[in-house]
Amino acid sequence: MNGVRAERGDGAGESLSFLIGLGRGAAGAMLFGIPMLMTMELWQLGFYIERWRLFLLLIANIPLLILLAHRIGFERTSTVAEACRDATIAYGLGIVISAAVLIMLGDIKPHMPLSEILGKIAIQSVPASIGALLGRSQLGGQAGKDEHEEDEEEGGAVPDEISTSYSRELFLMAVGALFLNLNVAPTEEIILIAYKMTPWHALGTICVSIAIMHGFVYAVAFKGTHEISEETPRWHAFFRFTLPGYMVAMLISLYVLWTFGRLDDTAPPQMLMSAIVLSFPGAIGAAAARLIL
Amino acid sequence: MTTTANKRHREVKEPHWIEWATGMISALVVVATIALVAYEAWTYADMQPEFSIAITERRQTEGGYRIAFDIANKATATAAAVTVRGEILDGSKIVEDADVTFDYVPAESKSSGAILFSQDPGVREIRVRAVGFIEP
Repeated sequence: MNGVRAERGDGAGESLSFLIGLGRGAAGAMLFGIPMLMTMELWQLGFYIERWRLFLLLIANIPLLILLAHRIGFERTSTVAEACRDATIAYGLGIVISAAVLIMLGDIKPHMPLSEILGKIAIQSVPASIGALLGRSQLGGQAGKDEHEEDEEEGGAVPDEISTSYSRELFLMAVGALFLNLNVAPTEEIILIAYKMTPWHALGTICVSIAIMHGFVYAVAFKGTHEISEETPRWHAFFRFTLPGYMVAMLISLYVLWTFGRLDDTAPPQMLMSAIVLSFPGAIGAAAARLIL
Repeated sequence: MTTTANKRHREVKEPHWIEWATGMISALVVVATIALVAYEAWTYADMQPEFSIAITERRQTEGGYRIAFDIANKATATAAAVTVRGEILDGSKIVEDADVTFDYVPAESKSSGAILFSQDPGVREIRVRAVGFIEP
């Protein structure tokens, strides 16, 4: 809403609301970033992660933030330029907050090599920047939101929107899965669980993940629960949303595991096992994202 | 697609063909995954880890000698805390030994490591073997 308010309003009010927005972003970065900022494995990953994988993660985060900002961002941005601005601010906030918290926790000290310091901050900045964006939207106020609510009613008049909003739906699931995956993937527990499980456990996990995903969105009546119209058979939504959602969660899991080097020198059955384990939180994250965002 | 009105999401009645295509592909992927895991479950045998070690490099380093090796686990069971001992043998006498511990050697996978000796083994025999592990 910054842009809109700037047109109407006085400079002081504008900068005040911008500062409040920054504060919300910082709060969001903290809220969503703390579990990772206090995870030992992520500190270690900061210096041993392969640099080009880290680079890829950092680059991939940019379009992700822009798309996310466009969808939910700070004050429901309407133009691409505004989405880019919000994404940049969120990324910046993510980096600053990560650095500040890591310094406070004594995890970054002046005598450390630059590459180690950079790596630690960079890897944390990804979840923190997503958190900053979410913080701005989820903790944000409601002022002036209503007029934009109208625009948010997708579909209807514009037929081109159909596939866009379906891909958007998948994108939101990917963000949700990515976020929860980043929380748990770096920990040793994920591979330990994969080693402990027999294939029977894995089969159970797949079924439970899919069931939870479907149940979260369609059956359990949370706020934002998706309704299926009376005439539509229930399995339609299962095929069109839940199964693709699980596939998205699976792909994101594989990507995150690969980024953190958990798939190196591992046989395909073991890779699949870890991906199934990680898809469990991923599926919950994906389902939650559909409801919340 | 989903229409959002008054904070409620409603799936539209006439979905785009792309949604069905994605759904079908996903269904295939999920079914394939389940089939693969089911196959593993079916053929799953309670095996014990089996190691084989191959020395990949011998190199003089600053103040010592490095023996790099790969440890492969052929079984379908993962081993944790695998201790590998390297020994320099002169005849039957052990001249020097050194240990290294792997956190995990996953099932049907390979891990790499190295043992550092203080002396050049020269022509003497080097023996590298796994001496123990725990179940994860």
